Amino acid sequence: MSILWVTLSAALAIAIPALATAWAQSRIGAAAAATLAEKPQLSTTVIILVAIPETMVILGFVVSILILLRGQAG
Amino acid sequence: MIIPMVRVRIMGPRERLPDALAIIQDQGVLHLAAPLEAGLLHRNAFTAAEDRRRRQLLRILADIDAVLPEANGKPEPQPGATAGECARWARLARRVHRGLAETDHQAAELEEELALLRRYQGFFAVFESLLQAGPARPGFSAFHIVLRADQRVALPVLRRELEALLGGACEIMTRELAGGETAVLLLVPTSRATTVEQLLAQTRVQEVPVPSGYGPTLLEAIPRMRSRAEAIPPELALVRRKRSELLAAQGPTLTQARRALHDRLDRMEAHALAAVTPHTFVLDGWLPVGTETKLSRALELALGPGLVLEVIERAQWKAEDAPVVLRNPRLFRPFELLTGMLPLPRYGTIDPTPYVAVFFPMFFGLILGDVGYGVLVGLLALVLHRRSAPGSTLRSVAEVAGPCALFAIVFGVMFGEYFGDLGHRWLGLDPLWIDRGTAVVPFLVLTLALGLVHVTLGLVLGVVVGARHGARQAVGRGLSALMVALIAVAVLALLEVLPRAVLTPAVVGLLIGFPILILLEGVVAAVELMSAVGHVLSYARIMALGTASVMLAIVANRLSGAMGSAVVGALFALLFHLVNFGLGLFSPTIHALRLHYVEFFGTFYSPGGTPYQPFGHWAPRARTL
Repeated sequence: MSILWVTLSAALAIAIPALATAWAQSRIGAAAAATLAEKPQLSTTVIILVAIPETMVILGFVVSILILLRGQAG
Repeated sequence: MIIPMVRVRIMGPRERLPDALAIIQDQGVLHLAAPLEAGLLHRNAFTAAEDRRRRQLLRILADIDAVLPEANGKPEPQPGATAGECARWARLARRVHRGLAETDHQAAELEEELALLRRYQGFFAVFESLLQAGPARPGFSAFHIVLRADQRVALPVLRRELEALLGGACEIMTRELAGGETAVLLLVPTSRATTVEQLLAQTRVQEVPVPSGYGPTLLEAIPRMRSRAEAIPPELALVRRKRSELLAAQGPTLTQARRALHDRLDRMEAHALAAVTPHTFVLDGWLPVGTETKLSRALELALGPGLVLEVIERAQWKAEDAPVVLRNPRLFRPFELLTGMLPLPRYGTIDPTPYVAVFFPMFFGLILGDVGYGVLVGLLALVLHRRSAPGSTLRSVAEVAGPCALFAIVFGVMFGEYFGDLGHRWLGLDPLWIDRGTAVVPFLVLTLALGLVHVTLGLVLGVVVGARHGARQAVGRGLSALMVALIAVAVLALLEVLPRAVLTPAVVGLLIGFPILILLEGVVAAVELMSAVGHVLSYARIMALGTASVMLAIVANRLSGAMGSAVVGALFALLFHLVNFGLGLFSPTIHALRLHYVEFFGTFYSPGGTPYQPFGHWAPRARTL
């Protein structure tokens, strides 16, 4: 497979989840800031909620690396 | 672990209730429960007079709390407060409150005045030299102006306008101030002062007013302000001494009063939690197992055989009603800080602290995995430990950071990471196990295997919790755990990590187990099973963050060689390592916590426990970190 397609696929595999994570975290973060202003005792719940969408970009990173390794092997 | 509790009922003649409450308060072990209301028994509610008295005591307490500083202390029995003493304490609290408010007001005024004088001092020192340098001009008025650095262009404009307005009948003197501002002294004929004021307003240049009360002219005001600025600090010290003397004189009495009032109010609240008939009282509550004999003996010793402490059969109370108190071995106790961030677990479920104490530092170490960074975390933990008080949150943080640092060092040795690849480049130190920088797939498999173990452990704990609530729930959870394990076996067989022969039995097992799971737990079980598999995949974050961490460290080391100058390169590398270390503290903590709270706790943790709050003597608690 062309090196171009491998690198492009790897880039997309991390870029799209990164955008999705950023969008989700921006929405959750804004809501979290409002929540903490009223109920500071919910800080733990808020941290967890903000960290939840990071799974997407982390799995994107893993897939991206696997694509690169497969590309190298191929 | 969650300390086992026993439900008890104390019964006796109604007139002995106050004495019984005093003894129970001295023992400080009984967590009072809602009163039993049945038949003739009814709640011992406050009378109007008692309610009035309670509100009166709360007011006195509010006055005392406003006066006394926060402190930590141990519970101490206090002699019962008489009505006369309460009245005396109320008067004393009001008097001390007034006295402190007065001294605080004086101190605030003096501090404000001193701050104002200090703010003006720099400006006026310059104006004084300008005034003394300039000739005394009778019939002239002085304007004192300070131009900011960006207003300096206004000075030539002002000079031109004044020349046009007054001809030669004005004098302008300027001096540079330390902050880049320009002090301007303007002397104009008094008869033209109003016109000049208007001109200043038009050019948006503001005059510095002479503070009131120090004399009509600046030349008179400056020495007075200076002497006032010198006189304020001793006055302030006097006011502060007066405040501390007042507190030192009345503090001990008020501290004792606060304890006695809290104890009395708590007894009143406890009184209202008793169920009564015209002649008897009944108090229900919870005791840690093993303390019931001690309380029973104390009651009998003080009040004779008229009182009965009865242990209620386990079958007669529900687990969710019992209060919860966690007690863990010394080594695990600091990790209660992490479990304490969530609501308490319900009684009869599992305290996850020991599991967190094992897995949290392991995950942290796997993600950070660098000897250099691990040593830095260890040093930070040591500093925090030295600077924190025993029992404080900071001390717990230090005690959690210690094992995390140890795991980071151990995994650092295994991965051969010493500030990235510095150990390899300088000392030829190679990984003992795997190189995270290149062996990405083995590291991914390791983290997923760890995830499988962690999630399956959670499901097994769920089986244990479920077994306490019913066999059906336990079987459902157990089957879920088994199916997650079977899915893992099937995937490993497909990848030829395990022999291909185990694939068919694993798939057959899944096909048989799935409908049984649906039958036992409903359709939602299918979703839960899929989410459990997703949870295992989520542990890939350990590999992702770990690889990112080692790559950043390697980039930091390469930077030093990429720069032209060795010094600049070393500085860049240091800065990059600092950033990576900052990320290395924050990121593993958040993600290791998340793996526990979401992936692990989600399988068995049951929040919503009532904290164990025994009825005892009050102790002051300061809000400390």
